[in-house]
Amino acid sequence: MTRLVAAELFKLRTTRTFAAMVGATFALLLLLVVLSLALTDTFNTKNDVRSLLSSASLSGLFMLVLGVVAGAGEYRHGTIASTLLVTPDRLRAVTAQTLGVAAAGLVVGLACALLCAAIGLPWLASKDAATLPTSDLVALFLGCAVYTALAAAFGVALGALMRNQVAAVVLVLVFLFVVDPAVASLVDSYSKFSLSGLAAAISGGSPDDAPGNDLLPQGVAALVWAGYTAALALAAAVLTARRDI
Amino acid sequence: MLEVHELTKRYGAVLAVDGLSFRAEPGRVLGFLGPNGAGKTTTLRTLLGLTLPTSGQATVNGQSYRSLTEPISQVGAVLEGPQFHPGRTGRNHLRMLAMAAGIPATRVDELLRLVDLDSAGGKRVKGYSLGMRQRLSLAAALLGDPRALVLDEPANGLDPQGIRWLRDFLRAQAAEGRTVLISSHVLAEVAQTVDEVIVVNRGRLVAQGSLDELTQGAAAPVWVRSPDAERLRGALAAKGIEAEPGEAGSDWLRVPDTSLETVGTTAAENGIAVFELYRPRQSLESVFFELTSEPEAAA
Repeated sequence: MTRLVAAELFKLRTTRTFAAMVGATFALLLLLVVLSLALTDTFNTKNDVRSLLSSASLSGLFMLVLGVVAGAGEYRHGTIASTLLVTPDRLRAVTAQTLGVAAAGLVVGLACALLCAAIGLPWLASKDAATLPTSDLVALFLGCAVYTALAAAFGVALGALMRNQVAAVVLVLVFLFVVDPAVASLVDSYSKFSLSGLAAAISGGSPDDAPGNDLLPQGVAALVWAGYTAALALAAAVLTARRDI
Repeated sequence: MLEVHELTKRYGAVLAVDGLSFRAEPGRVLGFLGPNGAGKTTTLRTLLGLTLPTSGQATVNGQSYRSLTEPISQVGAVLEGPQFHPGRTGRNHLRMLAMAAGIPATRVDELLRLVDLDSAGGKRVKGYSLGMRQRLSLAAALLGDPRALVLDEPANGLDPQGIRWLRDFLRAQAAEGRTVLISSHVLAEVAQTVDEVIVVNRGRLVAQGSLDELTQGAAAPVWVRSPDAERLRGALAAKGIEAEPGEAGSDWLRVPDTSLETVGTTAAENGIAVFELYRPRQSLESVFFELTSEPEAAA
């Protein structure tokens, strides 16, 4: 499995899509943090600070889309045939791609967290903003990295399941920004299991940013998200085994 | 050894492969021929575990491809259709596969040299010609130094030098004891490469054998030239063999459904001089068209 995961990481590194997505993530994050700090003076509560620093989890959205593009891209470009000739076991193939893109997501998430910290913490200090204990900061930045990894993995599994790259990207964005919040606002018990609720919980953001202001504990939320991903990956592997390539 | 047994594949109302059986043996090149849409690609993709059969089996050394461990060291494949990311270089495509299969990167450079892509290995695949893509596919097929090769229309896009190189290469692979199964819809492309051919049409096997067996089939009539053609015709008729005169005024007879020996012996028994006696060798193309134009009768 190690070599398959390494090959998936190599796949990512050898096309421009990955570099473009990572570049866009950094640029947008930089813009968001700088504008927030420049235009807002009130960082009086810990939740305000938490909300700003968890902007780093913006990387999760980009890596989610990257995951979808990577998973469905195998079908778009026909590289799935080469992949399955080397690894005929569909579950191993989907698992390797999921883990490979997740590993890339972890690194990108960590880099975004560091970028956010490098700009945000000194700037906040200069504004006499509320301070978060170090343990909270560590949990927040690690949470951001873990969420980015999990989001990337979720995207791969969804892409492998749907196979159509454009349809998969549209579906995930519509679900994330329309269906998920709408259902969360209508069904209270769903909000903490919604993708937005889980994302806020994993990335250690403010409850104010989550639908219903009700979050699962960070670790539990990560496990639930991983469960969603595993279910999608399993479905993709089973369907791929039954489909003609 | 590659084996297909009673393989059937149906896509809705379309029967792509219909009870096909054949075997490709080590040390031989087996040509898999048929017109476009005959079921060749479906059969090969089933053999490679990319398509599921409706019924029957396709195996590699007695196992389904999906159950093979380290499959690319057992079978290398060239497939039809897109299989490269256009933005990735040829070298990186091979390195990616090598990495997944645990094959050292040095093998990649070795293969790029072999298929004459060493100078183009660093270019993105979207800039490759069809022939270059075919050669890259072939390099990918050879990564694991496999004991069998399954090649679906590998000559597509190759220039004459490339086709000649491929022919010599495949002969060398077979000479080293490898199994080679190569599909084509152009008979002439593989005529000088194969030891044996199977011909399919509409998913069914319509002929199998060496090229000599196919081109010297009993269907070809015997031609005989004699100064006493009419008497020879009578002698043959007495044995129940119908002979037809050649062109008007000529001394040729055309004798279908018989052998050279029978005609020669009959002439000798009756003291009839024979100036020429032969069975014309049918052209490969005419055999191919004959076999694939009347599937029901031929099957």
